[in-house]
Amino acid sequence: MIPPVDKLVLGRLAFGASAEDSAFIQAKGLNHWVEEQLRAPAGDEPAMLARLAAIRLRIRYGAGEGWPAVDELRPLTTLDKDVAQLWPLTDRKAPLAGPERQLPRREVAAAAIQRAIHSPWQLREVLVDFWHNHFNVSAVGDHAVAAALPDYDRTIRAHALGNFREFLEAVAGSPAMLVYLSNRSSRAGSANENYGRELFELHTLGRAAYLNDLYNRWREVPGALKGRPEGYIDEDVYEAARAFTGWTIEDGAGLGGGQTLPVTGRFTYVEIWHDNYQKRVLATDFDPFQPPLADGRKVLDLVAAHPATAHFLCVKLCRRLVSDTPPPALVAEAAQVWAENRRKPDQIRRVVAFIAKSPAMRDGFGGKVKRPLELLAGYARGAGAEVTVTSGLLGALDASGQRLFGWAPPTGHPDDQAYWLSSHVLRHRWALALGLSDNWWGTGPFDIAARLPDALDATEAVGRVHAMLTGLPPAGGTLAAILAGMRLAPDAPVSRRGDYVRLAGRMAAYCAMSPAFNLR
Amino acid sequence: MLRRDLMRAGAAAALLPGLRHLAFAAEPGGAGDTLVVIFQRGGCDGLSLVAPTDDPNYVADRAPDLRVRADGPRPGRPLRQSFAPAVDFRLHPEAAPLADLYESGQLAFVHAAGLENGTRSHFVAQDLMERGLAGAGGGKAVTDGWLTRLLAGRPSVLPAVATTPAIPQSLAFHADSLAIPNLRGGLGLPGGPQARDVLTALYAAGGDPFSRAARHTLRDLAAIDARLPRGPDGKVLPYVPERNAAYETTETGRALQTVAELLKMDIGLSVACVDIGGWDHHEQMGGRFATLAGQFARGLAAFWNDTARYHDRLTVVVMTEFGRRLRTNKSNGTDHGHGGVMMALGGKVNGGGIYGRWPGLASGRLDNGVDLAVTTDYRAVLAEILAARLNAAALLPRIFPGYVPGRPLGLVRA
Repeated sequence: MIPPVDKLVLGRLAFGASAEDSAFIQAKGLNHWVEEQLRAPAGDEPAMLARLAAIRLRIRYGAGEGWPAVDELRPLTTLDKDVAQLWPLTDRKAPLAGPERQLPRREVAAAAIQRAIHSPWQLREVLVDFWHNHFNVSAVGDHAVAAALPDYDRTIRAHALGNFREFLEAVAGSPAMLVYLSNRSSRAGSANENYGRELFELHTLGRAAYLNDLYNRWREVPGALKGRPEGYIDEDVYEAARAFTGWTIEDGAGLGGGQTLPVTGRFTYVEIWHDNYQKRVLATDFDPFQPPLADGRKVLDLVAAHPATAHFLCVKLCRRLVSDTPPPALVAEAAQVWAENRRKPDQIRRVVAFIAKSPAMRDGFGGKVKRPLELLAGYARGAGAEVTVTSGLLGALDASGQRLFGWAPPTGHPDDQAYWLSSHVLRHRWALALGLSDNWWGTGPFDIAARLPDALDATEAVGRVHAMLTGLPPAGGTLAAILAGMRLAPDAPVSRRGDYVRLAGRMAAYCAMSPAFNLR
Repeated sequence: MLRRDLMRAGAAAALLPGLRHLAFAAEPGGAGDTLVVIFQRGGCDGLSLVAPTDDPNYVADRAPDLRVRADGPRPGRPLRQSFAPAVDFRLHPEAAPLADLYESGQLAFVHAAGLENGTRSHFVAQDLMERGLAGAGGGKAVTDGWLTRLLAGRPSVLPAVATTPAIPQSLAFHADSLAIPNLRGGLGLPGGPQARDVLTALYAAGGDPFSRAARHTLRDLAAIDARLPRGPDGKVLPYVPERNAAYETTETGRALQTVAELLKMDIGLSVACVDIGGWDHHEQMGGRFATLAGQFARGLAAFWNDTARYHDRLTVVVMTEFGRRLRTNKSNGTDHGHGGVMMALGGKVNGGGIYGRWPGLASGRLDNGVDLAVTTDYRAVLAEILAARLNAAALLPRIFPGYVPGRPLGLVRA
């Protein structure tokens, strides 16, 4: 059975359907909702600021060299801080326990979960999550990335609906990416190829355009001699790596002659580390001795404008927003919108609007498994629960296979169902709904019973809860499984029971484990 | 078939009523050894692991602190070998525990091994290797993994386990694989018996992928959970390795301990996939490689010591998506290269030697002028192990489509 359109699209363009968003779409239509969402202002509205201010994360560690043992609850303190304010967390000589240095990672992740559940600007949050995966960095275990993460999150948010070329440059110059893909230590002579390679393969043209197994020389790549190569090879990677030498951060590195860079973590460009000689990237010649940053910017111009980039980014957007196997025609049309608008400041907004309003958005069901964050946020939203993120909830999500800002390889979390159906991920995702219902993690009372009419029997209660979450009546097997497992007679007058709140919470958690709620 | 094996199979069947048919190690024509496939993710630098210490190009292209040396305070462990007798190959000093396994004839290296395809992309290379292919051409239709094809039609109690959060591509579309990062605390379900009863019924009939995966997870995790030793309070007891083997709390230690625990349940584990990440040393390679290589070597040695009772039916193969660039970069690291080092460890491995053909490191001998060439297709190593130790010779054309076996390496005996 296919859910009603509001539930269906809010499982894709939002972290699940809340009663308010469903009512909006039912009253005014999907396109109106999309337009409204795409006008999201920057920053958090007052209600969200209040919710973020209410979060307390537990920090606990034993005594160490120069610090006492700590076990306390703390409000979020790093979200507004500039990288320079947090860079002292990376000082190896400072007496700081590891959990203090990792704190920004946990705080940015807690805020992301809080916004996924309660932000009115759901489509923006979905795209912020998309871009964090697309331009993945991992802060877990890397204190420099952690210190730069609040800054990086602001960068992602600033460009999530903007222009891709500008976005690329903001990421290329971000301290988090410069650390994560090690461009900060790249120098003329033998450049570090890490960022250059992933720029092509993961950030822009995509692996389908990597033709190194077919061609060894740039001129052999089809189209190269006309200045329009179909793809890239290792020679392009080497040359791009040279172009980004000197793009670094103020991390105290030595400049020679006893001079060092300042220690702020901020972006800087060091001309003496830059490889100034001529280059050739994607069959385009770069003259020697260009002005500061010009070589890198020219590479970004080339990769951002390449047709393979339009295709690759639209495949990824459609895969995230529609299904694991999006219709090729939709991808092709979206790529056209992408290319036509590539100089517009709101290029990404236009592409997202096109995809969100396409017929494919309202079509099909079950082509994708919800990620754990979608599951938990969608559960809270559907049940109308007020949730305050806690360390316990963050830990449960971290354990579920979706550790925000902690995916080690630069690919971001996989976006196909095989990963999310492993025995390990399934076992942990079952805990997410139960934990919210039973309030295992102190996230707040969960009272779905208050949203149900009076005088329900067990069958009616399961039916109401299931419909609230999915827009559908429970499949016969689902109803029977829940009633039998909970030892409830179908006509048991549950709403009169003393433990009704807990009972209804469990019913809701089990409905949230049904295939109907886990697919989208 | 030995009587104790019959009993073991019978006991396993009784304990795991939900699981299917049985095949186990000692059965002639059966599944053969338990195969442990360790994938070093990120591209392990073979030239630091098994280093040609006196090769003049190695010396010229690598700063002294980014290569293994024959002299100095931390010399590499010399390896007796006839692979390239003129070259002083040495094991990285931190990997010394592997030298003991090598000298005892159980561990072999294959140098200049890898993917003959020219890719330097982690994700393309890993993907091709896990699908058992050499190149994209003709391989688009092959979506499952080489281990999936090995296990197809070979029923066993516990076909495959990965110690990662999800199963790797090499087991893609294998419906009975389990992802079990560790067994600490057991594999019980959240929510107690009520949740178990609801979930069991909830997914009992559904034909959708979610229901199918959930059904299999509930059944098989419960079966393994029931085998874990518990104390009077019902809590899972800590694992006690045999022979005083000590696993460290590193990725290698945790993962290999999990494999050992599952192996010793004697429920017919066929394949275990282990990922060890962090080999992508673009920056500050000297210290980082030493740390990781040490963890890896100690972990593998602990596993081998702990599983001594199983050595006659246990084979470990270690692979990586590529080796690293001969010449170091200015970040004191190395970028993506080509040929790497594979390892085979087992009671029936002809250890104590380096296999393959050493192409040398002179510019003209390097792949694309920059990287150690690949002279042994990674599939030659895998195919030989599958044929000799997993009774899979007849399946090789299916497991590695398009691969034509060359002269055997002689790495392993039947």
